[in-house]
Amino acid sequence: MHIVVCAKQILDPETPASAFRIEGDRVVPAPGIAPVLSQFDAIAAEAALRVKEARPVGDRITVLSLGESGAAAIKQVLAMGADEGVLLQDAAFEDGDSHGTALALAAAIRKLGDVDLVVCGRQAADWDQGQVGLLIAESLDWPIVTVAQSVEAISDADLRVRRVLDDGFETVEVGLPAVVTVSNELGAPRYPRLPQLMAAAKKSVAAWSAADLGLATGDVGAAGARLRLARLARPTHESQVEMLTGTAEEQAAALVARLRADGVL
Amino acid sequence: MNDRPTAAPRPPRVLGAWWGAAVGVSGLGLVSAFEASARGATREVFFNVEAPWSVYACLAALLGLLTYGLVRHAALWRLGRPAPEVWRDLPSRLRNALRLGLGQQRLGRDRYAGVMHACISSSIVVLTLVTIQVAIEADTPFHPLHGAYYLFFSFYGDLFGLVGLVGVSMAVWRRYFIEQPPRVRWDERIEDHLIIAGLGLVLLTGFLLESARIEVTELSQHPDWAPWSFVGYALARFVRVFAFEPHQLLAFHGAIWWVHLALAFSWLGLIVFTKLDHLLFAPVNAFLLRTDSPGRLALIDFENRPDDEAPFGVGHIQDFTWKQLFELDACVRCGRCTSVCPANIAGQPLSPMAIIQDLKSHLASTGPAIAEHRHEVGGIGRDAVNVQMVGGVIEDESLWACRTCGACMQECPVLIEHVPTIVDMRRFLVMDEARIPATAQAALENLESRGHPWRGTTLERTTWMQGLEDVPMFDGTQEYLYWVGCAGSLVERNLPVTRAVFRLLRESGASFGVLGQEETCSGDPARRLGNEYLYQALAQQLVATFAAKGVQRVITNCPHCFNTFKNEYPQFEGRFEVLHHTEFLERALRDGSLRAVHAVEEAVTYHDSCYLGRMNGQYEAPRAIIEMVPGANLVEMQRNLSRGLCCGAGGGNMWLEERGGQRVNHVRSAEAIATGASQVISNCPFCIQMFEDGTTAVQAAGAERMRPFDVAELLERSVFGAPVAE
Repeated sequence: MHIVVCAKQILDPETPASAFRIEGDRVVPAPGIAPVLSQFDAIAAEAALRVKEARPVGDRITVLSLGESGAAAIKQVLAMGADEGVLLQDAAFEDGDSHGTALALAAAIRKLGDVDLVVCGRQAADWDQGQVGLLIAESLDWPIVTVAQSVEAISDADLRVRRVLDDGFETVEVGLPAVVTVSNELGAPRYPRLPQLMAAAKKSVAAWSAADLGLATGDVGAAGARLRLARLARPTHESQVEMLTGTAEEQAAALVARLRADGVL
Repeated sequence: MNDRPTAAPRPPRVLGAWWGAAVGVSGLGLVSAFEASARGATREVFFNVEAPWSVYACLAALLGLLTYGLVRHAALWRLGRPAPEVWRDLPSRLRNALRLGLGQQRLGRDRYAGVMHACISSSIVVLTLVTIQVAIEADTPFHPLHGAYYLFFSFYGDLFGLVGLVGVSMAVWRRYFIEQPPRVRWDERIEDHLIIAGLGLVLLTGFLLESARIEVTELSQHPDWAPWSFVGYALARFVRVFAFEPHQLLAFHGAIWWVHLALAFSWLGLIVFTKLDHLLFAPVNAFLLRTDSPGRLALIDFENRPDDEAPFGVGHIQDFTWKQLFELDACVRCGRCTSVCPANIAGQPLSPMAIIQDLKSHLASTGPAIAEHRHEVGGIGRDAVNVQMVGGVIEDESLWACRTCGACMQECPVLIEHVPTIVDMRRFLVMDEARIPATAQAALENLESRGHPWRGTTLERTTWMQGLEDVPMFDGTQEYLYWVGCAGSLVERNLPVTRAVFRLLRESGASFGVLGQEETCSGDPARRLGNEYLYQALAQQLVATFAAKGVQRVITNCPHCFNTFKNEYPQFEGRFEVLHHTEFLERALRDGSLRAVHAVEEAVTYHDSCYLGRMNGQYEAPRAIIEMVPGANLVEMQRNLSRGLCCGAGGGNMWLEERGGQRVNHVRSAEAIATGASQVISNCPFCIQMFEDGTTAVQAAGAERMRPFDVAELLERSVFGAPVAE
């Protein structure tokens, strides 16, 4: 089985809001704050590794990432245990939206040829749009199972996936090839073992351009974007304190009245 | 409650004093022996003994046995990796072998045990010398045992026999009658009883033998010589009361000679089979003791690895160095390490003694198979045995419970270094197996991607500067770099400490600057948690930053950064003068550049952080500052100075969940509260966080909460009069 993991390097979501600026339609982090692998994509890698480890030896995992900073994401997933990495790198990909990204990733998956399963995070932890996995499936015309809590190959051609619902779980089976997006309920991604980390640092990662993928520059990147950013703003948090007076009973009654008035109760 | 020490703590002198007294008494004996008219005084060696050669037969057997034992042990030690460092710095090593090994300096930390052990060991040494002189007298052309020296010889022989009996009695009293301290019973084995009983019997039969001889010979023939063997003489006088026939006494003497001989050699034979081997191994282990700082962990050379298959940490017994294997054999199961271990005190699953003993028996049981496998198949033989060491013989949770506080190493009388051994096994867990508790893994991931160990901090490295004017950035022109550290800048509670140090530095007129956003973690948490690879990446990056900035002198907020900069960065050629803020502030107070003018009327207690105190020996500077604050009254805790108890956060336990028992910071907070002081003063951002939590949890309801403060916060109040405006 050949599994593809899609991984994205993002602005560190742990960065305190005070540590970045907004310039036009860009978020500029403070110096010294390095981008990180999107947590959901690390979980996607974990899901792929679990599928591989539960099966006879011979499966391969390829990690795909798009954009220059994706090289670090690929290294990290390789360190976790993936076999190969491909970086989709081209000036034409810059400033693309989910659609362009999915188009490029799907083209890469087609180019790889023998892919049985694509695993993505349920959403990237920066913009939280959750579109890319779905659009890859659409582009490949494969079935997709979203928000997985566990992924298990029941044969070479079938997958059993437990999905997270609002009020419980749902187990579905799907024929391969397919796309699966995973959620944090799957569990924490593994810590890389050092021998793998060192081997990953030495592995060469293929770089494919838009031309390699047979994509026209107008379809991807800023040129192919279907999403238009209207406004970007830093969230502001305001707090106002109002002291209630009177006896405990009066305070409680006043509190209830205020909470009702504000629609909290 | 201890009174405040007036001077820097010194190693205990109990044992030195003991030898002084012993030599003094012997000297008096020598002088009086020469004063006495003793012309011709001597005795027949092997009096009434039919087969004196049997002594040599026993000796030969003993030597054979000892050789056999040593060869067997050495075969196990040789399984370990090389330890080239033990041949460096020989003068310090010889000094350690003399002071800590033969001089038994560490034993004095438990006074009773120190006196007991000094009695027993000095008795064994002197009586062995006595026996050797008898052999020389009997079987060489030299005859030392004549005249005044014979009388003196008789005197000190008896003196040290008696001293030995005093020691044995103290041991018996402690082990069987008061059963204190409990540690003597933690891992008690039959051999422990044999050793005490055997030695007691050897000494007693020696005296019986002597008294029978004196009764039959000297008491009648040379009554003026006899009293020099004062114990034997007194016994002989007592025996005389019963008016035995000489032939009865001779028969008794002959019989007891054999018993004494058999007991003495059997007892010495225990060296091969029991913990009595510490008699040989402890002084050697003192020689092998590291001569650099205990705060420094060994460097792994990732570039030049001995073999590519080698694990990075120690997961198999043969991946320890031979020095680490050797020290397993030096352990006498005394339990001192475990009795001072913070995790153990709190009831958590760690006993340093059990770790050493478990590794020792693992080595003994698997070593021969490994050696055979190496002989037949070659290689390291990691597959030779099917017993999992880390995760099996030694449980993961024991390794994680260690605070690396060094209390065990400080106490060990045979100089075992537990902490590096524990960290080596952690390295295996983290780097080779990636088997890490989730919270520690999160801390390591944060260190790697964010350069600090905290997840979800809302602060920045410059937040503490808000409200302070003109915080100078370090650019190489200033004398000192003030190193704030992650805890000092990213943890809310520690910001006032950072501001206090900053204000005091500025007030003192020091030339200094800070790095602000350019600070990254020193790497200490990664190293203590076992990720040496990550540590080296962080440390090398910082060494390069310091070199680029021209940093010569550093003042740190945190004793952990302090220890790493001072003791560990030289491993990467990062050499600069490193001061903990308390060291700088004490100096500034002494030279008058800071003046503590406002009174702070508080009873305070002081908590020694492990990495400023035990690991770096700095107990005095913080205490001196507290003393110079008018009004502050220092009340010491029971466990203080080199016996100080860890706050619980050390060794990466800031980021580990505590398992089993109490929380260490609750135990320590209770100890601080028991002093009755209103504040607990420390020098470490982690200690302060632990006390904030601990005092809240432990304090009796209704009582005013004891507040933890840094030394700098206390001094700030005294220098400026009020806390900095928030």
